[in-house]
Order: sequence, then C-alpha cells, then structure tokens
Amino acid sequence: MRQQNAPIPPLKTVGHATPRIDAAERVTGKATYTNDVQLPGMLYARILRSPHPHARIRQIDISKAVALPGVKTILTHENCDVVWGAGGISGGQQYNDDIKKITKHRRYVFNNPVRFVGDPVAAVAAVNRHVAEEAVRLIQVDYEVLNFVLEPEEALKPDAVKIWPEGNLSLNAQNQAQPATTRRGNVEDGFRASDLVFEDRYTTAFVHNAQMEPRSCIATWEADKLTLYTPTQGISNCRNDTARDLGIPQEKVQIICQYMGGGFGNKNQNQDADLITAMLSKQAGAPVKLEFTRKDDFIGVHGRWPTVQYYKVGLTRDGVLSAIQLRGYSGMGPYRKNTGAIGGIDLYQCPHIESVIYPVYTNKTVSGNFRGPEYPQGFYGIESMMDDVAHKLKMDPVEFILKNMTRKSRDEVPYTNYSLEECIHRGAEAFEWKKRWRPEPGSDSGPIKRGAGVSFMAFRSALGRSNAVIRLDAKGKYIVFVGVTDIGAGAKTTMAMIAAEALGVPLSKVEVVWGDTDRCPYSVGESGSRTTIQTGYAVTQAADALKRQIAEKGLPAGENVLVGSASPNPTLDGKVRAAFGAHFVEVEVDTELGTVRVLKYLAVHDSGRIMNPLAARSQIKGGAIMGIGMALHEDLIYDRRNGQPLTAGFYGARLMTHRDAPEIEVMFIESDDGYGPYGAKSIGESSKVPAVAAVANAVFNAIGLRMKDLPITRDKILGALA
Amino acid sequence: MAKTKIKKKISRRKFLQGTGAAIAVAAAAPTVEAQNPATIPTADAVPKTTIRITVNGTPRRIDVEDRWTLVEVLRDHFGMTGTKIGCDRGECGACTVLLDGKPVYSCSNLAVWADGRSVQTVEGLAQNGRLDPLQQAFIEHDGPQCGFCTSGQLMSAKGLLTRNPHPNANDVRAAMTGNLCRCSNYNHYVEAILAAAKGGSR
Repeated sequence: MRQQNAPIPPLKTVGHATPRIDAAERVTGKATYTNDVQLPGMLYARILRSPHPHARIRQIDISKAVALPGVKTILTHENCDVVWGAGGISGGQQYNDDIKKITKHRRYVFNNPVRFVGDPVAAVAAVNRHVAEEAVRLIQVDYEVLNFVLEPEEALKPDAVKIWPEGNLSLNAQNQAQPATTRRGNVEDGFRASDLVFEDRYTTAFVHNAQMEPRSCIATWEADKLTLYTPTQGISNCRNDTARDLGIPQEKVQIICQYMGGGFGNKNQNQDADLITAMLSKQAGAPVKLEFTRKDDFIGVHGRWPTVQYYKVGLTRDGVLSAIQLRGYSGMGPYRKNTGAIGGIDLYQCPHIESVIYPVYTNKTVSGNFRGPEYPQGFYGIESMMDDVAHKLKMDPVEFILKNMTRKSRDEVPYTNYSLEECIHRGAEAFEWKKRWRPEPGSDSGPIKRGAGVSFMAFRSALGRSNAVIRLDAKGKYIVFVGVTDIGAGAKTTMAMIAAEALGVPLSKVEVVWGDTDRCPYSVGESGSRTTIQTGYAVTQAADALKRQIAEKGLPAGENVLVGSASPNPTLDGKVRAAFGAHFVEVEVDTELGTVRVLKYLAVHDSGRIMNPLAARSQIKGGAIMGIGMALHEDLIYDRRNGQPLTAGFYGARLMTHRDAPEIEVMFIESDDGYGPYGAKSIGESSKVPAVAAVANAVFNAIGLRMKDLPITRDKILGALA
Repeated sequence: MAKTKIKKKISRRKFLQGTGAAIAVAAAAPTVEAQNPATIPTADAVPKTTIRITVNGTPRRIDVEDRWTLVEVLRDHFGMTGTKIGCDRGECGACTVLLDGKPVYSCSNLAVWADGRSVQTVEGLAQNGRLDPLQQAFIEHDGPQCGFCTSGQLMSAKGLLTRNPHPNANDVRAAMTGNLCRCSNYNHYVEAILAAAKGGSR
C-alpha cells in the first residue's frame, strides 16, 4: 500500500521501486565483506577476555603462549596503553573530543581492573587462527576477584561495590555525578491539578544488536600509514577516532568498508577491535586479521541498555494529561558508551513533564547504540503506561492517543510537516481497529485469546553537514563519490537514485564509489537514520554544481572530466523535523502454553518522500520484526550468583526466525516538507521504535494482564495467569 | 556411505586435543623474536588428511588439517568467500552449503567429512553466467539487506526447491528456519522463494 496525503509530484527515478544496484554482488557471493579480505603474509588474531565480572589482574604470564611456535605478538595492559575514545565517554558525548580529554573514566583497550565478563585482557597474533586460539588458552592470568553488581538500582545503594572510585552514577559532561534531568512546567503543580494520578514500574532487558556479521578487522601498515579494513557504520568518524586514539595524523589512516553485514548501531565510530588490530599489526610488522567469535561479539561489543522506569501520570477526569514524571535507571555496563536516555514522554502534549534518568555503571557488558537508541525501551514503558491509563479511564487507546499525543515538538516548536493524526486515523481504519480491539481485555472465552495493541512515534529527521563529489567523464559516466557505507539500508543505491534524479540521467549512467576514506569525502555515516537526508542532500547539491559546470563548459571530451562537489550544512529555521508512524498489532495468546503469536501487523509511516519503496519496505518490516523479538524473546540473561552471561549467542538470545516472523503490512503516507533530498525523512530506526509497545499492548488486550517486564516470555505470561 | 560414517566418529574435540599435545611437544622456541618462520613446526605437527571433494562441479584434492571445518577450507584455502561465517557454532545458517545436494552448516562439518563428496556453494548457483531463478527473485524482491545471511538463505532455498519444487509459504518458513536474518527480511525472502518456485518473478 502506498498513499499520499497532499499529493506530491512524482519524480523520474526517485520514488520508484528499484532493486539495489549491487544486488547481483550480494546474491552471487562476490560482495566483499571485511573478513573476506586476505592479505599476503597476514596473521590471525584472537582475544583473551575476562572470565570475571570484576577483578584486578595481579599478574599475566604469557611465557607459555609466547613459546608456542607460530605466535608472533601478544598485547596486554602491560605493553599496550592505548585509550579507546581517547579517555572514556563521559556523559555519553562520544562525539565530543573536549569531554574525552577531561573524563576521569578512561577506557583502555586492555583494562586493569577488568570490569565485565568479556573485558579484553590480552590479544594474540599468530600464523593462523588455530595457533592464536591455542595461545590464548596458554596465557595464565592471576586475578584478584572483586565484588560485582549487575542491576542499576542495586549499584546505586551505598553498600554496592564501587566500579569506579567516584561511584557508580556515571559522571555527566561536566564530570559531575548528576542524573540527566529535563523539565517543563512543574510536575508537582501538575499532580495537584490532576483528578487522577497513576504510578507504575516497567523494566526492560539487555538485548544485543546481534547483527549477522561478527566483528572482524584487518590492519596493515605501510611505513607510517595505517590501512584498516573494518566494518564501520561511518568511515569518516572511524578514521578521525582511530587517528586520535593512536596519536597519528588523520591523513595517515585509511578506513575501508565495502560491504557490511549489519550493525544496527554497534559498528559506529571506531571500536576496540580496530585499535587492537592496528597495534598487533604494528608490533608484528605484518598484516593482521582479528576475528571475533560470536560469543566475543555478544559480550565484547555492546547491546541496548536495560532500564528500570518509574512513571507517575496525572490526568483530568476526561482523560487529558496534566503531568508526567519519569524516574529511570539505565544499566550502562562499566564504561559509558552512550547517554542511557529513556525517550518517549516528550511525545505527549502535557504542560508539566519531568524526566530524571540515572545512567549507572554495572558489571554487565557495555551498553551502546542499537536501532533507535533510547526509544524502543522508553516507548515500551510510556506507551504501556498510557495504554493502562486509557484502560482505567475506560477509553479506547486510539482515542486516548489522539487526545494527548504531540502536535508540536515539546509542545513548543512546530514540525516542518505533521501527519501523526493521519497515520493513526488511516492505520486504525485499514487495520479495522474497532473490530480487533477488545473493549474488555481478556474477554475471549476459551484458552486462546486475541487482542489488539497500538503505539505511535516521532523520530528525529534532522539536517546536517555532509559532502559529495560527482565526476563526469567523456564516456558519459557519472561517478558519485560519497563517504557512506552500506549497512543494509541500501545507501549506495539511494545515493545513485538521488544522483540520477538530480542530474536528469538514467540510473544506469551512475556509479557510486563508497566506503574508502582515501577516495570519498566526509559523510556522517550510517547512524541516526540520516545518511539519506544528509549525504543525499549533498548529492543533489553536487549534481547542481556539476550541471552548472556543464552549462558553462559543455560536456567533457577526450581525457577531460568535469567535477561538481558540495558540502552543504543546511538548517531548519527554528522548526523540528520528524518522521511519524503508528503500529497496529493483533496477537493471539495461548493461555495454557503462554505463547504469543502475531496474527496481523500494520505499520504506517510518514518518512517524507520515499526514495526507494522496495528498500524502504524492507527497512520497516525488519524493524517491526526486530521489535516483536525484543517484546517477546530477546534477553541477555546474567547469573546473579556469579555475574556470568548465560545466553550470549543467537539461540540463547532467541532471535526471531522465519517461523516466528509474521507478515508485516506497510503503509507509507508520503510528504515533502521541502527539506532533505526531495523531502526524504528518516526510516531505518523509526520502524522499531513503536513496535515493542504495540505488541505489549496487544498482549494486555488479549489476556487482561499488564506485562511490565521485558521480554514477555512464556514463563512470565503463565506466571501472571497462574 | 560407510566411509562417511567412519569419518563422522572423529569428533572436533578429539582433533583439538590432538592439536594441543602436538603443540606441547613442539613448543621449544623461547621468544617471539627468536622464531624463524621457516622452521615453525606447527603445521607439520597437526594431523593432516588428503581429501578429494567436488566443489561446484570441479574435482579438487587438498591436504587439510583434520581440525579444519568445511567453511574454513572453502573460504581460506579455495578463496570462495561467498559462504559466510556468522556464528561458527551451528546457530545461524549463514554458512549453509549443499553437501551431496542437502543443506548443511559448513561451520559444523569438518572438511575431512566431505572427503569423496560433492559441495555446492553460492558461487556455483549461476550457470553459464545466468543467475539461478532464486538469485533473480532475491534481487527483485529485495531479499538481501545487509546480505550477510543471503548465501545461506539461497543454499537452503535451493535445497528446499530441489526436494520440493512447489512449496507453500509454510513449507518455506519451516525449511528456512535454520537461516537467521537479523535485518529480519523474512517476508521478502519467503516471497522471493515462492516466486522462484512459480518460475515467475513478482
């Protein structure tokens, strides 16, 4: 289904379902992913990781490992003191170099003490992977085992072990131990003015990005120039960060990432694997390939931060919000890699709002970016809370949302366009909401009960700086140079389509050069769902520049080429730009077995003008299915007695499979607000944002019991029903 | 067949144990610096077997270390990197190849077990430069997003259509359950496989 609110004029290339320009490479095995690269004389590397959640290393004995024939280099905290992120990531400001300089919480690539099961202790490079694995087993580490803490609320208690000397509340950007607080109005006034006040607690689990491609990295030095083949979502940032962390000039670092097997946020910027591989290669004097095992990837990279969310909501008798208060705790692991924010309450129209979030150090695996970093878990909390409030007020949740959802960003700043109401009205109609939603939850007779749930979202679609270069040769080939990588969203194809549209030439005349810092200009990379908006816009501007050249000089002949380039940094004139969406889900719960099956799923999205409907639908469906997995299955479970992760791996995390995945219906409400390339807004992350809450609300509607702890597994459903 | 079964009795654990013993004997070099790459005895100390396998129709003969998995030989020694390693422990199906026509996880098969058998990988799907109908359908239905699971999805689908040329959607989902896709493009993969089975595109 594809619908338009205000008709937008059709374009020639953009907006037409287009198979990816590199699809043939992907289905024939010719696409080169990082680990497919083989360099002559290349060594293989493996990492020894801490088996303890918290321990001081007294001594590391590498003598047996060094003596193993074929072992070339071993790095530990004793001979490698590279700081990752040049000084930790206090306040979650991972892009801010100034904060990195002042932070007290430095994360080295090898730390002592080690602070989570999986913290790297040593890295070995050897002639092949089997020798490297054997050498890792031969390293003897004498640990002084320390107390540990896993849950953020426990970590803030006075008697909890201090993971850092300053305590377990992660320091903010000013190096102060303060929670992240946002306020508008005064919630106490709001609650006093309320007729009804409700309170509840929701919790969400640590879930892993679990992209199919485990992290790997290949490093090689030619004199003082480092080349890294690495799966990164942003080559420009990866180069910048790697150069800074290794103390070498940016122009001495080349980052290459051609094809990448997903990431969903855990391949942002540079990773410790990049630094470790670079240092191993430098010390060994040979190219080195570091391969993470699947377990390495689960426990050694990062996942979505687990949260505890306390809500207090005040309303008038007729269901209009007067105050929302959130006190939240986010488990960040022992190093700060992101904000730990809990998003969602901003999307309600409400005069009095207060949000106080404590990002807390724990001895679990580190938390970081994962598809819509702060939203799927935050929306689960607030949207469950509001669904429950609507139920208690005997209101249809669709009516409740229409009455209370955002009309302006933070009730103040207008959006560049606004279609949430349309998303909800159109979706409710197409989904047959009135027919599927049970006014009396859990009222189906018999053990199999059905119910429907809804959730909505708005997701940032900000503009920003990016570059693009287009070169035209005498053969009429347009070569687009963009610093994007292709995480799976289809950036390469999208850039080619935008270029073809802007140049007025067929797509077949356009080639894209991407994923190599020596060949491509700056792009923010594949994070924040902004590649299309930012780099796509730069492509339109580079095309205009090239067209001006052509008008001036005529088409190039012989060896001549014409080059158009642009580095725009557009702004929004005081408005806020967002993608909007609403998801509608019908589930069936077997109350004897505790299983949940999704029967019908409709995702309605306004992502502006859709550049490539084929790839866009894939993105929406994938996000929705991932959201169902987060709602019902996924959990990195830790043993409370010993701090060991128990479910690190695809089976343990219970990812969605072919059999679990329902049909996802997608409806686009297209718009063109005049910004971005042809009105494109964000897509990739937004599709996961409302999915979790919509599924959870549908489960409530089916069984009449509110499930307040993610994931909503069989045992929890049976426990609630017992 | 009998030969294959004997091979299967050799467990991966046994190989690893054997390797450790061999290395302990050979561990003489005192420091990293003192080693001469030319005299590293590692490779010789590991049990090896000469195997013959047919890969995408081409007979091949290779000396393999007994601990090498099939995917390791395909990727590192034959340079056929279309087959991916997603977990190396039989959980995700990214490494699926056809062994005598049946889909198997090549990370969970030792190379020596493939002795005398026939392997088909994603590189062998296209015939005479023409894409397999499955590959064509995967392109048209936007099956691959990141593409890392795609080779495995293709080989499982090929195995399915070989034994059941006219599956319904549930047959497809059941046959493909061992092939994870974290981009979660399951809908499009199922559509593509059904379209390929019907002999049409969309």
